[in-house]
Amino acid sequence: MRKLAELLPLQFRVLYRQFLLRVVDLEALSVHADIPRFLGQFASVLIFVSVIGAIGPIMSHEALTAAPEAALSFAWRGEQSLISGMMLVVGLTAVICWDSTFPDRRDVMVLSPLPVAPHMVLLAKVAASAALLGLAIVTLNFATGIAWPLLLGSQRDSNWGFFQSLAAYWFTMIAASVFLFCSVLTVQGFTALLLPRRLLLRLSAALQIAAFGLFLGVYFLQPSIPSLLEMAAPENHWFLAWSPSFWFFALFNQLNGSLPADLGWLASRAWIGLGIVVSGATASLLLCYLRTMKKTAEESDLVPGARGWHWTPRFGSALQTAIVLFSFRSMTRSRQHRLASAFYLALVFSIALSWLRSDQPGASPRPLTPEFLIPTFMMMSFAVFGLRGVFSLPISLTANWVWRLTQLHAPEEYIAATRRFLFYFAVIPVWLISALQSLSFTPRHQVAAHLAVLALVGWILAELSLLGFHKVPFTCSYLPGKVHVQVMIGVFLILALVVALSLAELEMRAFNDPLRYVCMIGVLGAATVGLWVLNRRRAKSAVLYFEELSPEAVTTLGLVWLPPSGSGTGPSVHSHN
Amino acid sequence: MLELRSVSKHFSGIPAVDDVSFSARPGEVTGYLGPNGSGKTTTMKMITGLIEMTSGHIFFQGKHIQDDLISYKRRMGYVPEEPYLYNHLSGVEYLTMVAQLRNLQARESSERIDGLLRSLALYDDRHASISGYSKGMRQKVLVAAALMHNPELVLLDEPFSGLDVGSALVLRSLIQELAARGKVVLFSSHELDTVERVCSRVVILHRGKLVADDSIANLRSLMALPTLEQIFSQLVVEQDTESMARQIADLIHA
Repeated sequence: MRKLAELLPLQFRVLYRQFLLRVVDLEALSVHADIPRFLGQFASVLIFVSVIGAIGPIMSHEALTAAPEAALSFAWRGEQSLISGMMLVVGLTAVICWDSTFPDRRDVMVLSPLPVAPHMVLLAKVAASAALLGLAIVTLNFATGIAWPLLLGSQRDSNWGFFQSLAAYWFTMIAASVFLFCSVLTVQGFTALLLPRRLLLRLSAALQIAAFGLFLGVYFLQPSIPSLLEMAAPENHWFLAWSPSFWFFALFNQLNGSLPADLGWLASRAWIGLGIVVSGATASLLLCYLRTMKKTAEESDLVPGARGWHWTPRFGSALQTAIVLFSFRSMTRSRQHRLASAFYLALVFSIALSWLRSDQPGASPRPLTPEFLIPTFMMMSFAVFGLRGVFSLPISLTANWVWRLTQLHAPEEYIAATRRFLFYFAVIPVWLISALQSLSFTPRHQVAAHLAVLALVGWILAELSLLGFHKVPFTCSYLPGKVHVQVMIGVFLILALVVALSLAELEMRAFNDPLRYVCMIGVLGAATVGLWVLNRRRAKSAVLYFEELSPEAVTTLGLVWLPPSGSGTGPSVHSHN
Repeated sequence: MLELRSVSKHFSGIPAVDDVSFSARPGEVTGYLGPNGSGKTTTMKMITGLIEMTSGHIFFQGKHIQDDLISYKRRMGYVPEEPYLYNHLSGVEYLTMVAQLRNLQARESSERIDGLLRSLALYDDRHASISGYSKGMRQKVLVAAALMHNPELVLLDEPFSGLDVGSALVLRSLIQELAARGKVVLFSSHELDTVERVCSRVVILHRGKLVADDSIANLRSLMALPTLEQIFSQLVVEQDTESMARQIADLIHA
């Protein structure tokens, strides 16, 4: 392998190594992020998901042999889920390594004066992106890529059934991934070619977040169609015709030899789509390297600000306004923070949207059930703790000196401003969304009672997230690669679900018993006040901090050399401390 | 008056600033000179309160700065050596944020910010993101942020870095004007020609230790040297610069 690699040109190998470490959008993670460690975490999360996905077919093996219709429905659901999951992961990968396949200003400024041909840069960048994509494909299908072909192959009469399913599975997954990745490259490439660079710099961030929302939205909202009857239904024709994950579902069945003749047109769409986007990505990449590298060097990066009205609202005192505006701008303008907050917001909106989807328009008001209460609590916890999580990612540690230099207020005022931000951008919006959704529920007094509980729960969550938070949002260093993201997310999801279920159950019981409801409100109110007082008291004696680690990287022992005494045979050391 | 008494700072036991004492008086510009790594920026950071001293005392207007750090910070303006700013904000947003953190009145600060941006030729780009600003533009933002609250003590660490000739001339005159209005100005720079024109006295640091503290005129007569550059070379430049240049040229020619 090493000898094979040595056959490649030295320039390619050097550039590939550099680009591989930069393939993940550094701005979207952290400038000081540990990229190899991040890739390790990324791979381990996907392997974990794959193992979970492989348990289904192993456990349900007997169900498949029972009735042909049930078996078909089970297999189709599984296939659709795997393909849409693969496309989601590739979509998110494309978002994380946004722009990394195209030459950026740094590449142009550093590499242009060197004797490096543009095609060498292009090939190294494509190879680096392909390596990340390959990592995503292999790890996400690590277990499912064997378990599902085994299961599907066992349904076939031929001895070669497993191998055919295996080949069909891996080809489909690679094709679906290439399709999605190349689609993103095509859109990015032609946008870069058609738009002036200044406009592109503005639009690129918006495109990235739109793509992120699109991938998550499609994944959460796309229905599963597990029967041929439903697939062939005329009302589903338009949806299937424009849903790439169903094209690749059809492609898999075509390669596996299990595609009903009625769905041949869907598989054709997959082939045609793949051909179009691969050609589009190739053309746009080639044109970008030939044309925009020069353009990038010539044009300034100074993007003029939007003309017109520049009014900024006030959020309390001058300090509170400064912190709320700084936090809002950090969250929305930095790619890293925008993506992190978009992840949590996407979860909130997915819950809200899936809830809307289950709501039947025109139907009479429905009675309040736990199915209404649980999502509101889940949304509130995702929003508050999501925002709190995003706070921990610093935006520019080197620029923090201005906070220290202008620290003219008591720490409690900084913490109060952070609380305000949590209320304005998490608690109140989620409460309003829930209030709007609750309009279709009755009885109204129960809805009002739930909204009161939700407001208190939101406040409690905000206070909980401020416990020990003696910093200005987005300013304190954190230790990238040290946090076990997969463990944290898993624990948080389980906790949020348990709390939401328990609260919904307690609340449903309280609705039928006014005394119980008063007690519940009393307990929540007391908890709110208690936490608020605790946070205020702690804040009074707190010291704002901007570093998780002491700035002194080397610790000396303070040892001193003492001359040998009398007949001393060797050196002696003596500690100062 | 700003007064440093036996100030030292050790990093991991290694002295960066060693027993430094000097004072900077109102109405005069004090130049703070030294080669790279001599401890100038460390001293500046200690004077601003950004880092703590290992030992020693710093007084401003006769009071120890640590006695009432908040009140001291209100009266001090600082231009750091490196133009580290929040790149996601525009120039006007950054300055407004600093004004809010300093508790300045909204209307008053808005007028001052507009005025400073116009004077520093940044007004047209005030709504552009700082990420696109050149080094000189960033430096101007730092100068505006340091002066907008009319500080009594002005600390300038390499303020001319990246500035064009016109802006540098304006800043040079501004430094003299600030001193003429009774402010204490401590000015660190590698541009000896500018220091010679702007400063009435200089403090020279070498390897963390003070090697000179006097008016430029006195130093000239004491050392019998005609320029500040020659005085500086005599005190802190250890290698023969011409032979060093020859060595480098030989190295790349080989």
